[in-house]
Amino acid sequence: MNGLLHVLEFAVPLVEAAGITIIVSIGAFFVAVTMGLGLASLRHFYTTPVIRWPIQAYVELFRNIPSLTHLFILFYGLAYLGLRLGSITAAILGLGLIGAASLSETFRAGFESLHHGQREAALAVGMSPFIAFREVILPQTWRITLPPIGNYAVQLIKDTSLVAAIAAPEIMFTARNLVVNTFETTLVYTLAAVIYLALCLPLSRTVRYLETRAATPR
Amino acid sequence: MIEFINTLWSNAPEWLSRLRPALWLTLLLTLSSFALAIGIAILLELGRVSRWTALRKAVAAYIDLFRSVPILAVLYLIYFGLPGLGISFSAFTSGTLGLGIVYSTYIAEILRAGVQSLHRGQSEAALAVGMTPISTFRWIILPQALRVVTPPLLVALISLLKDTSICALIAVNELMLTSKLIMSEFFLPLHIFVLVGLIYFAIAWPMSLFVRWLEPRLHRGRRLATVAAGTARQKRPSITSPSNVLAPRRPRPFPAP
Repeated sequence: MNGLLHVLEFAVPLVEAAGITIIVSIGAFFVAVTMGLGLASLRHFYTTPVIRWPIQAYVELFRNIPSLTHLFILFYGLAYLGLRLGSITAAILGLGLIGAASLSETFRAGFESLHHGQREAALAVGMSPFIAFREVILPQTWRITLPPIGNYAVQLIKDTSLVAAIAAPEIMFTARNLVVNTFETTLVYTLAAVIYLALCLPLSRTVRYLETRAATPR
Repeated sequence: MIEFINTLWSNAPEWLSRLRPALWLTLLLTLSSFALAIGIAILLELGRVSRWTALRKAVAAYIDLFRSVPILAVLYLIYFGLPGLGISFSAFTSGTLGLGIVYSTYIAEILRAGVQSLHRGQSEAALAVGMTPISTFRWIILPQALRVVTPPLLVALISLLKDTSICALIAVNELMLTSKLIMSEFFLPLHIFVLVGLIYFAIAWPMSLFVRWLEPRLHRGRRLATVAAGTARQKRPSITSPSNVLAPRRPRPFPAP
């Protein structure tokens, strides 16, 4: 009984911190999906180098530099320029911007996977390019892009742990603080791992289900 | 902007000379954990096809576990948690172990896709014409599986290089931690982190470009694969080379980093 109380004493603050993890994940996911879809559609509609090159540069820069570096630039670098972001804001913005780069590639692959006849047929029956995109292209790409987006969501929840480095009070940061006060390293970090497991495992199971469903031909 | 570049330029020689050993440590950490990850992944793959159910279940549990827990949590458990049980490693060893363990789950998936991409008839035919199992693997299975497995393995290596930066949080003296120390000394956070970002980029980007260059070349001459990849040129399959007909299924792409 005493042991259980002992565990609860650590579990309660960690579960509270999981709330911050979830907020950061949802915020970053929202930023990443809207911005990724926006970038991919821009590239889909405008093939001029003026549009394509900056987007390509953005994607390459964000995919080939560690997340931690981006977070440090956003948090410490912008503060140096006089723009002081809160740690949670910086976390959502940073992870969102990184996610947008990889999701824009996912969406692009989705658009390119469709036969070009789909778009041509839609234009031939008199749809405007935008309507064709919204009513014909996009609904069909969801089937292909949904599993990678789900995988991204799982990865994102895990990546929020990096935000501890810029002092956002999420699970790993709270765990670190608990350890500093109590020295119960093994117990606290195991609890933290268990919480992540509880967050990620159901989600990745759902993704696997979506994947098998997407793999079966309609 | 010009001022920024001037400050960076005047400080760069000193910073770079301090970052050089850190860069070597980052590369060493990347390679050692990649080697460890491949080693574990091969064992996982052997366990997955084992005839003992318990072993197969254990492999599945291992993969589920380390795919659901962030790298940072694994690193903290190894570096700070294990000493509580009387086992302690140096920071570098902990980093190698943690990254190796986590990445072995991804690499196991890549290897599985590589093995499954081959039709069973390949090894059956080789055995039927009298090749030994070992030479079947060496001459029939391995060359074909390598084609499928190489690009995603390189993508995993790039991802691993980026994730070594997490080891800064368990005090491995690699690029990220060194730059943070320099930051607290010079109070020029933007400059130093942009510089470090450029160093990572200078290593990772050429590798990404190489993978993109390599991938279509590995699938050249395999009819169904090129059609699946969306490239237009179709070659008539020759009856004499069955590899043209039995195209590998592409492995599942590595999850977005």
